[in-house]
Parts: sequence; structure tokens; C-alpha cells
Amino acid sequence: MSLQDIAIVAWAEAPREQPEGTTDSALLIPIISEALEAVGLSRRDVGFWCSGSADYLTGAPFAFVGQLEATGAWPPINESHVEMDGAWALYEAWVRLHHGDIDVACVYAAGRPSAAGDMGEVLGVQLDPYYLQPLWPDHIALAALQADAFMRRTNTNERVLAEVVAAARTVASGDANAVVDGSTDVDELLRAPTVAGPLRAHDAPTFTDGAATIVLATADKAAELTDNPVWIRGIDHRIDAHYPTMRDLSRVHSASVAAEAAGVANAPIELAELSAGFSHQVPMLIEALGLDDNCAVNQSGGSIVADPMMVTGLVRIARAAQAITTGAKKRTLAHAASGPALQQNLVCVLEGGQ
Amino acid sequence: MADDKPPQDKPTGAEEPDKPVRFMRQMVSLDYIAHQSPLARRYGAALAEKRVVGQRCPKCSLVYVPLRGFCPLCVVEMTENDEVDVSDHGTITTFTIITPIQYYGQQEREDYTLASILLDGADQTIGQQRLGSIDNSEVRPGIRVKAVWKDDLSGAESGTGGAIEHWEPSGEPDVDPAEFEEHVS
Amino acid sequence: MSVQAAVVGIGQTKHAKCRDDLSLAGLVREAAIRALEDAGMGWSDIEAVIIGTAPDSFEGLMMPELYFADALGCVGKPIMRVHTAGSVGGSTAVVATHLVESGVRKRVLTVAFEKQSEGDTTWGLSGGRSGGVGAGGYFAPHVRSYIERSGAPDYVGWMVAVKDRQNALKNPYAHLQLENITFESVKESPMVWDPVHRLESCPTSDGAAAMVIVDADTAKVAPTPPAWIHATAIRSELGWFPGRDAVNPQGGQDCSADVYKQAGITNPREELDMIECYVPFSWYEPMWMENLHITERGDGWKLTEEGHTAIDGDIPVNCSGGVLSSNPIGASGMLRFAEAAMQVRGQAGDHQVPNAHLALGHAYGGAAQYFACWVVGSERPES
Repeated sequence: MSLQDIAIVAWAEAPREQPEGTTDSALLIPIISEALEAVGLSRRDVGFWCSGSADYLTGAPFAFVGQLEATGAWPPINESHVEMDGAWALYEAWVRLHHGDIDVACVYAAGRPSAAGDMGEVLGVQLDPYYLQPLWPDHIALAALQADAFMRRTNTNERVLAEVVAAARTVASGDANAVVDGSTDVDELLRAPTVAGPLRAHDAPTFTDGAATIVLATADKAAELTDNPVWIRGIDHRIDAHYPTMRDLSRVHSASVAAEAAGVANAPIELAELSAGFSHQVPMLIEALGLDDNCAVNQSGGSIVADPMMVTGLVRIARAAQAITTGAKKRTLAHAASGPALQQNLVCVLEGGQ
Repeated sequence: MADDKPPQDKPTGAEEPDKPVRFMRQMVSLDYIAHQSPLARRYGAALAEKRVVGQRCPKCSLVYVPLRGFCPLCVVEMTENDEVDVSDHGTITTFTIITPIQYYGQQEREDYTLASILLDGADQTIGQQRLGSIDNSEVRPGIRVKAVWKDDLSGAESGTGGAIEHWEPSGEPDVDPAEFEEHVS
Repeated sequence: MSVQAAVVGIGQTKHAKCRDDLSLAGLVREAAIRALEDAGMGWSDIEAVIIGTAPDSFEGLMMPELYFADALGCVGKPIMRVHTAGSVGGSTAVVATHLVESGVRKRVLTVAFEKQSEGDTTWGLSGGRSGGVGAGGYFAPHVRSYIERSGAPDYVGWMVAVKDRQNALKNPYAHLQLENITFESVKESPMVWDPVHRLESCPTSDGAAAMVIVDADTAKVAPTPPAWIHATAIRSELGWFPGRDAVNPQGGQDCSADVYKQAGITNPREELDMIECYVPFSWYEPMWMENLHITERGDGWKLTEEGHTAIDGDIPVNCSGGVLSSNPIGASGMLRFAEAAMQVRGQAGDHQVPNAHLALGHAYGGAAQYFACWVVGSERPES
């Protein structure tokens, strides 16, 4: 059977700068209100809620329970949660809207990596506890293995990585949620020492705190709510083997499979918003997703300049949708990732029009 | 990071030389920074003055303790203007006597009573409050209690646990449970 | 709903205090392989995996599904991780059902697990701080309020504790096998969270559950009778606000009313052949009988006292031995859902309710604020 079209009708992002000690709820309450009000909805109009978060960011169990306050869950609501990036919460909401008994879903995510003393140590707990975790490689070391494999296979040199960083910092300068405090000069970037060869500190993601929300609607409802719906033409997610030695680290196989299933190749993509935390992952993903030279990438700099973990993928979807509603693009792609060295990937293809 | 000092209360497989090793103990410790929220700081500052402060929702008028910044029922903001003092006397709505489980890091050793207390002037109980000056077996719903403030209030900013030693019977007559049936949680 | 869905494979581990013969991945595989064998399928038949578990801190592993990808045959496939506190095993099955009902996938493997022996749950719940009281410390005041409110005699809690453990003796997968349990031994067991005795509480277990959920066309050619999914429902409510009834939460009332309505059930007491609900502390049986609209408010304990909830009663509850006999937390909700499906498939062995055609599976979590239910039946529902 053919799947229905589901539309993104509204979204909002929390400002990165927040008072010290702010809570997830405080980040989420205003943006959920903002997104719903933008299309004339109230919390009571939402038929399904879904969120993404991770307890290990703040070091306390049940992060999502506190976030529930932001939904105004009284009377009781129809709600679910994934311990994943908010992009997967959006996937679950997209699935749920196909039932036809509800017409609006609200997806949200909040993450505060600033609470973690050292993200490298925290992310070490993502690894197989018997063989990998005792070695305690951090996310940069694992990404460096990937970068090395990719660069050897494709004859990519370190200058390409520096150019990615410089470009990200340049386009991000106007984005209030991005952290741009380093050089944009490629030669200067290349003079920095490597931290895990071939990667330098600036090749790694800039973890920031953040929150975002996206409102979805079925086709009929979307037509009621907005003149400018953004259609989810395809969405799919896939995972690769966990052990770095059990997969071809020079490729992002699962992203390629997801891209094919999401119909990326059906028509040209004009903009791709990629959850590429490391500079080398930008060319890797362009290759894996089959994007051509005319496709713009990460118009606001992406995860290299702002990586609100657990929110990043949802933000990429919001930014890819925004490019359509502003009229700048007609067909865009958003990508989300999870796990060491892009182990898990989600691809979402968006289009404007009716 | 891996910590080579496991707690000594459980043997590992390696300590039973005749048996194959089935467990490797891997202690993991991660550091986190927990910033106090501005609301918690204001709540703590009031406690340091032996005051319990709450917020009255500008829409539904319910009084929340401790401060939470917004009413989750109305989803409207509550600000400093909505703050009201509530009493340090209240009623036990329900309770349990805890036999502490001895996990790694647990400091509690003796049985103790935790109660939900509905403070006079508040609409929401404060939960998991420690009782004192009363035998565990004498505790019952409906008892009136009052705060026993610590002499040293320097830890008040961490919340009631840092400011209030425990709650003890105030000597006022018990309240009929029917009066707080809507406020047990 | 666009596509009808059914359970065609069910597997679970032998639940135990410590499955030191298995790694974490080995534990989920034991359940998953049994579910696939039951369905007459192999790994390559599965299009997507939906996995659930309780907080990551219980095993000290962040997003364990990343590491399970290889062991669960997921490489190149989708896997999604659900977490809705204690209700997670139930809501994970609901998410898997949605994936089929929406038409997105046709053959989904859903798995839930907990390996409590690899961590410390009370430590995990406390975030490592002193003073953690565990789930029992949180729920005991609500149990007290129920007893006070309903005027139930104290031995009703002991009755549930004995009944569920006797049912567990009929279930070879159950963790606790307490052949000599009596009212006296429950009453004399240590008081851990007054008024909850140790034998009125769930154990800590290692275990996993798995199900294969498929679309109607696949179900029709399954090698064993399917359990048709007549309805699913989830509800969440705030855990803390003035006037909240934590003893008989609105979310649970709404969730069960919703699932009955969708399944066309008007009199659940009469129409359901058995109920498998989430009872981690014995008093939750009478509390949930009221919450699930099986009886009037205040009367739940009478159902237990009069033997109606026994395996040979008119509304048998927790024939598997329930959470009181096996508690791999993340899997506990899915085990409830799986038991309901096993019953309507006639697959429950010595704990089978004769001629069970329609059954309710139920799970709850958080501060009794997250709820998941499904109704499964031996007959395909009218669409």
C-alpha cells in the first residue's frame, strides 16, 4: 500500500544562550507554545506527542519524565519517547499519523551536554561493554579511525577537512545558535596539532545545549493549518555493525541504504542538512547519500559549529524545512546520526508545494 | 573512567579460584556538573531565612511548593510576583518506613520514615520528607507536623534536606484523612 | 487503522537473578531466536526491530541497542529504541504494532530486556546519590493510601503474593519458584517499605522478551495460530500536581477505556478471558482492577479476596506469575503483553486459561503516570 504524505507545519528552536541552571522544561515550554501558536494550535489539539533525549547527558535517569511537563500532560495525553535523537521521535510520530485517528503530532527534544563533565568519557559508555568499553576510546578516536579509512580510500587530504571547517564557520557567523570562535583560514587551521590523527580539535563537533520542536500534520489538516506545508516525501533509518572492525569504516553503508529507501535519488536535492559532527563526515555523507555538486550543504554550519546532542537531527530537519518555506529551495534533505562513527543514520526528504 | 577500587561487599568470579571467571567487575565513574536552577536558588535562599516559599498560579490559583516556574496544569509561567510564603506546619498525608538498600554510595543504614506533607497554604504535598521525634510505629496519616530547622543553615541552598533536620509532631489534633484525600501523592 | 496486525512469534528467556551464562547481547538473542523459531522465520525475514529497556543507568550502558545491532541481525536495517519508564516493554510492543498497522513495515521483531545483575537498579534510580529508596519507597505511600481509602484487610496483599507465586510454579520461565510460600511466610517476611513486605515485592531479574508482529497477510499463513491485535493504547500524565490521584491515576483509567472502546469491549469483566497486568507490589492487583474498570472503585480487593483473580477464577490475573515472580524491568511490560498473546494462542502450557479468546496486557511506569495496554484475541477482528 502507498503511504500518505505527512507535512511539517511548524517548528521552533530554543536559543543556545540560556540562564545558568536552566531546566529542560524551561527550554521546551516556550518553543512548544511558539510552534503550535504559529499554526493556530493549542497543546490540546495535539493527538500524539513524541520526544527524544538521553539520560547519560545529564547523568540522571528519566530525563524525559521531567520534560513531560512541557506538554501540559493533564488531562493525560497520547505520548511516547525514544532514547534517541529527536529525529527518530519524528519518525515515530510520522508512523503514528498514518493511522488516521489523529491529525496533529508534536515532536520535541532537549539536550544539555554542558552538564556532562567530559563528553568523550560519557560517549565511551555507548560502546560494547565487554570488548570495546574497557579500552575506553572516545568519540574523537573512533571518528579518527573512520577519517583515516575514508581519506586513504578516496585520497582525500587534510586540507579538505580544514576547508569544511572554514566553510562551516564562515556560513555560521550569522547564526545565533552556532559557536564560531576560531579561525576560518585554512592554512592556519592546518597548523593546529592533531588530537587523534588525522583529526584536529576543530574537526570535532561543538557540543552545545539546545531544544527544538516540530509539528506534523496529516495532509488534510496541513492544508487547514498553513499555506506553506513541507511534505515528508521519504524517511528511513538504518544501522551499521557496532564493532568498528566489522564494517567498512571508509563508507557509511547504512546512510546509503536509508537514502535509497527514502527516495533521495528520485530527483535532485538542492540542500542537505547533515548531522556530520566531524569535518570528514561531510564529504563521506555527500558520497554515501549520492548528493551531487549542485547540492548545498549545512547552510548554517551544521554540527561542527553547534551540536546540541539528541536535538541535532531534529534541528537539521527544521532547517531543511525552513529552506523550503522561505522559497529558497524546493527539495531538501535532512540527516540524523547516532552512535560511534555514524553507526546509525536517518534520512528525510522534504519537498514544498501541494 | 575505569576505577580500580570496586566495593568490597560482593565477590568477583576471580576471587573463587576453583571456578571459572564469569564476572569482570568494571566500575565506571563519570563526572557531571549540576547547576542549580534560578528557582532552586531562590527557594534555598528563603529556606536559609527559615521560610518555605511557593508559587500561586496566576490562572488556577493553586499554590505549588517548591518553586517550579510554571503551572504544569495551565502551562503558564509563574514568576517572582507569584511567590507566596507557606507555613512550616503541615499534615502527613501518607508515608512509608524505609529499610535502606545498601547499594554503592548509600549512606543510610537504619530504618527511617519518609512522609508526604501537605503544608498549610500549599495545594501540593512535598514528598519524601524525613520524620523525627516520633517512633516509626506511631506514624499515621493525618498527624500534624512542623519543621525542625537546622541550627546551621549554610546548606539551605540545596533544598529542604539542607535546611530542615526533620519534621516532628506539632501536638495539634490529627486531621481527618477525608480532608486531604485529593492531596495524597 | 489501515492494516491489521498480529503476533505470530513469542519468545522469552528463563528469567533468573543472574544469567551469568549470557552476555547482554546473548540475553536478548535468547528471547529473539525463540520468537523467530515460533514464527517459523529467520533473521532475514525481519524488516525492522523495535527495542525497549528501562533507564540506561541500570546496566551502565548508554543506548545499548547500538551494540545489539550485530546480535539482533539489524545491520542494514532499522532499529529504534523506546523508553517510557516501567511501561516500556508494553509501549515498545505498541510502537512495533504501529509500524505494521501504518503499512510502513510488514514483519517487525520487538524485543525488551533488563539484565539487572550487570548493574544496580537502586543505584541507577538514585543517580548514584545516597538516600535512594527504590521504586518500592516511591510506591509504598500510594499502597498505604489505597489500603486506608478502601478499608481492605491486610491479608489481601499476602493473598496476591501467594497466588502469583503459585502461578509461577506452572511457568518454567518464571524467576521465582517458591514452592513453600504461604500467607504466614509472606506476613513474616521483612517489612522493606512499610506496608510492603519483601515477599509482596518483585524480585530483581535478568531476562528478555521478544515478539514477531506481522501484517494480516503474513499472519494468515503463519505456522501457528496468531494472536490478533484488536487494539493498543498508551497514556501519559504528569507525575506531580495538586489533586492528582496517584492511587487510581486518570491516565490508567483513560488508557484502558480507550483500548476497550477500540476493541469493542463494553463489559471488560465479562468479555475478557484473562488479564496480565503490571503488579510489582502485591497491592497493585486490587488497585489496577479498579483502574482497569474491572470493578468499582474501592472494590478491587474483594475480587482478590473472593478468588475471582485466581487462575481458575472468572477473571484470572497474572497466570504467568506476573512481575511478582519475574522482573527484568525493561522486559516486564512486554512479558505481560506476550503472556496475553500466548493465552489467546493456547500456548501457555500449565498456566493456560482454558478457552481463552480475548486477553488484556497492561504495563505502567514512572510515578504511575505512563500506561500501555493491548487487547489480543484468537479471532481476527472485524475491520
